[in-house]
Amino acid sequence: MIGTTQKPFEEILVVLEGFQKIAVVGCDGCAKVCMTGGSEQVAELADKLREQEKQVVMEATPERTCYVDKTHTKLDPYVDQLKEADAVIVMGCGGAVQITRQVTEELGLTIPVKTALESVGHMDTLVSGELAMEQCQECGECILNETGGICPVTKCAKGLLNGPCGGAENGKCEVDPERDCAWILIYNRMAALGEMDKLKRFMAPKDYSKMAKPRILKIKEKKVA
Amino acid sequence: MKLTQLYNKKEFVITSEVGPVKGCVRPTDGTTPTCLGEATLLRDLVHAINVTDNQSAVMRLGSLAASVLLRQEKMEPIYQLTCRDRNRIALQSSLLNTYSFGIDNVLCLTGDHTSLGDHQTAKAVFDIDSVQLLKIAKGMNEGYDMMGNELTQPTDLCLGAVVNPNFEPLDLQLMKMEKKIEAGAEFFQTQAVYDPKRFETFVRKTEGFGVPIQYGIVIVKSPQMGKFMNANVSGITVPDWIIDEMGSVPKENREKKAIEITTRLVNEIGPMVQGVHFMPLGWSDVVVSVIKEIEAQGNKFALAACA
Repeated sequence: MIGTTQKPFEEILVVLEGFQKIAVVGCDGCAKVCMTGGSEQVAELADKLREQEKQVVMEATPERTCYVDKTHTKLDPYVDQLKEADAVIVMGCGGAVQITRQVTEELGLTIPVKTALESVGHMDTLVSGELAMEQCQECGECILNETGGICPVTKCAKGLLNGPCGGAENGKCEVDPERDCAWILIYNRMAALGEMDKLKRFMAPKDYSKMAKPRILKIKEKKVA
Repeated sequence: MKLTQLYNKKEFVITSEVGPVKGCVRPTDGTTPTCLGEATLLRDLVHAINVTDNQSAVMRLGSLAASVLLRQEKMEPIYQLTCRDRNRIALQSSLLNTYSFGIDNVLCLTGDHTSLGDHQTAKAVFDIDSVQLLKIAKGMNEGYDMMGNELTQPTDLCLGAVVNPNFEPLDLQLMKMEKKIEAGAEFFQTQAVYDPKRFETFVRKTEGFGVPIQYGIVIVKSPQMGKFMNANVSGITVPDWIIDEMGSVPKENREKKAIEITTRLVNEIGPMVQGVHFMPLGWSDVVVSVIKEIEAQGNKFALAACA
């Protein structure tokens, strides 16, 4: 999922300064899991905006706001309310904000679409409702087959491919003593799997052209352009 | 002069380190930059002087400018190059610059993370790692950049690397060391070690590696510094006996105590390997005293001559 945190309410108020009629759009996909923009958080934000004398003209939470069809399905019935709105505030990731903008444009509307959240990375939920961790950079050149299913590109602070730096102490990273050294995790895992020989191989520099922005996924052709 | 020439002659190689200043070194006001002043103290006592690359991720004068300054003063710099701040284009260009300016030795490192320095909001680059950098540098010595494009004139740099004998599990660190050797590392300088037994274990495990190693030591200046290093510098452990000994003498005698402890460690650990590398963190005058003390004791380490 895409991890998100909420911007401080004071910052949202600044963003919405001068706008009276507000549409609040959430996301019942990732933002719901992060408890930052699901239906419940949309209702909470709407209430807080009303307390600030704003008029909330609609509240809607698509199943996945980054998916254009699902966002249309949810927002199209609200076209009259959206026409009335001075601004839309989206409680979703940066993708959700931009798909919402696209949907409003496709509905023939030119209204400011703002975000209430910060997007903080591709996150995997380790403990439901408690803890998620960034484990994948979507680098386009996956090496998990060589590293025991633990990604050094993401989980090593320096993204080292050929083993650890000298900074780990007590198995922890020099950058954060709470964080495991990715390379010690990989080493232990490969030892347990009996695949230590694989670890001794030289890993060539990554092809970062595969991460050149913005990537486009041609779904029918199954390729990235 | 390449350090490998000394190793080939079976010299015991002595190096020390200076950190470039946080500022410029254009000679306008008649003052000597501290890094040059420290290096000058060591001129006739060490074979070469490491010049750190924005050490601890603290922004300073570049290691190239400071290395060139030392070269102009007829000293032998070891140019340190980290992967933290430059992508592969800039790193290769730096290697060309370095050799073009008459520098013969380069130490290839990963580099401390930006989050440990004075520009914590910087984007950490780490486009390639130290093993890859060594392999690329070796390729440039052979006349090609990493993409296989021919260079009009190749580099001819002696390639050094680092290893941390304190690392646990040690075998994982040694696996990386072997990768570095395979990639092109011709000599190693170790992280600071204060435990002779630990160093001996490391030496025994690396005996078959066939590369010269320099024992690395950071001079502990006070009990507070020892405690600070334990709390804040990853990968180094200052044992209690050093902290206690440093604390057992009044402040004015600490320098003398530091000389005594450093001399003792170098005498004990140095002979296990092919050289020693001092990291004095501003106390280059102590390095001078340590080397003279070792010589006065009739140790086999001959006084080196820089350049």
